[in-house]
Amino acid sequence: MKKIFLSLLILVSVSFASDATIEVIKKVDSLPSLAIEDGSVSYDDTFRLKFFKTLVADMNVISLFNVDRHHRIVNYDDTDVVVQNKDMNYVFRYKLIEDDNGALSIQTKLISNEKDVFNKKYRIKNKKVYMFISHAIAYDINKFMGAPSVEWMKRKVVFSRITSPKKSEIIIADYTLSYQHVMIRGGFNIFPKWANKQQTAFFYTSLDHQKPTLKYVKITTGDKKTLLSSDGMLVCSDVSDDGSKLLLTMAPKGQPDIYIYDLGQNKYKRITRFGGIDVNAQFVDDDKIVFVSNRLGYPNIFSKRISTNEVEQMVYYGKSNSSCSARGDYVVYKARESSSAFSRNTFNLHLISTKTDFIRRLTATGVNEFPRFSKDGDAILFIKNYKAQSSLGIIRLNHNKNYLFPLKSGRIQSMDW
Amino acid sequence: MKSILLSSAVVALLVFSGCSSKEPIVDETANNKAEKPAQEVQAVETETVSAENSSVMGENAESQSDTNEMSMASVENELSSVYFDFDKFSIRGDMEDKVSNDAQVANGAGSSYTVKLEGNCDEWGSDEYNFALGLKRASAVKKALVAEGVSANRITMVSYGESNPVCSDKTKECWSKNRRVDFKLLP
Repeated sequence: MKKIFLSLLILVSVSFASDATIEVIKKVDSLPSLAIEDGSVSYDDTFRLKFFKTLVADMNVISLFNVDRHHRIVNYDDTDVVVQNKDMNYVFRYKLIEDDNGALSIQTKLISNEKDVFNKKYRIKNKKVYMFISHAIAYDINKFMGAPSVEWMKRKVVFSRITSPKKSEIIIADYTLSYQHVMIRGGFNIFPKWANKQQTAFFYTSLDHQKPTLKYVKITTGDKKTLLSSDGMLVCSDVSDDGSKLLLTMAPKGQPDIYIYDLGQNKYKRITRFGGIDVNAQFVDDDKIVFVSNRLGYPNIFSKRISTNEVEQMVYYGKSNSSCSARGDYVVYKARESSSAFSRNTFNLHLISTKTDFIRRLTATGVNEFPRFSKDGDAILFIKNYKAQSSLGIIRLNHNKNYLFPLKSGRIQSMDW
Repeated sequence: MKSILLSSAVVALLVFSGCSSKEPIVDETANNKAEKPAQEVQAVETETVSAENSSVMGENAESQSDTNEMSMASVENELSSVYFDFDKFSIRGDMEDKVSNDAQVANGAGSSYTVKLEGNCDEWGSDEYNFALGLKRASAVKKALVAEGVSANRITMVSYGESNPVCSDKTKECWSKNRRVDFKLLP
């Protein structure tokens, strides 16, 4: 009897194991412990502590360790770990050095059972971008531990921020938004979207012309190109994996519909024909999209093939689901839960799979918006506003963990990861 | 013996550092190691999600209709903004007179200009849907103007979503002022 039960249990867990809409609950205690030791020889205490904090946050986000948060100072070359860290499963030790050229170089090692199990050196010319080294370290440790790739940690975020009515900036940042570089200043430019996987260029909408205009900027050179314009509105909602096609929301005749735009042929084609609102299209595959439409009288998530006219409702929960992001079989969407902006629970994010009927709620409090999947689908980036505090959130789907980083960036209009 | 050890350590340092002039800093800090008590940094904030349900309620926003956008031209001043209900893009009954008046101005004093309709939304939802909502509001006003005899060719539209608020308080009154279509005249 016991055996039957056991095998049933195994069968159930195997068949659901890869479905991220089902919550995976891991006990924190069962994660190995990790302490971080600072053996820096250059820079002041403020910068050292800043680096330490960033590294602690990154090590937390990879969700493989129970990370100790004490900033312990050591001599990098000591063979023994600090006495308080004796019982840790892992000790990560690093040394910040300002080299002769003013560059920041970092020596690192991971110690386990009194042995160095991992060594790596990093170097970066400008210490202001130290957070990228921290992300790279966490990426490498994650890889060393044999966990699925966290490539997204090294990716950049592009977002637009409203500075005053009809004025905005487009900014490039790391995934925690702690590094920020203003790419486009002045004017009214919104809805930035990465143009390719390498993140060497992005599209955005300029509202400084008589009609909303779609533009393209190369980051490396700053070269700009104007692609097309439309009356009313024009937004690049998604870019295909190979970067050759765009999903746009345009309204050449005042009617917001979804169009597919072929960059190579410089041609666009209308793919939705509903008299209300169709927006926010996302590629599921080359021929299938999900999008937001108010065809039932309120905004909700639908899907359709690009080649046919048949439209399918995707979500049956939530009365006002006004934005979504798709990756593979998964769709994350924002649902309005309450009509009061002063309630503790107004917009939450939910995850559905196109393969199952499960809905998983990803956030519990506040106003949660701008859900954006990572390219590999392992993580979701979003913005949370709760009790006058804005934070950037990272949801690790397979670890059932949300991490929040306080945000000092003002009001975000739109972002892409 | 001690001095031999020390000097060989110094030699080793020089070798590894490529005779760097900044290297002596190494010794300095190595001597003060672990003097200060360890500082514990703040925990990374996490959020636990429980499967709670909350109902979605409808809302009928109060109307606020007597504010005008200040604009440059005096004709523009005679055109009054049109206000909308929450999440709606149909023209309210109490706005119909305003639209008729706007149509008269557009065909009278403003007949030599192009009319630009700017659709706006409150800060509820800051995404593409909001932009489309702003556009549908502008489009509803355009249809009404055309029905009152304004030539469709003279009307252009743009949506600013929630990014062009006239009021930035977090109150219902304030939001209702932001759900509007403004008129601008272009030469």
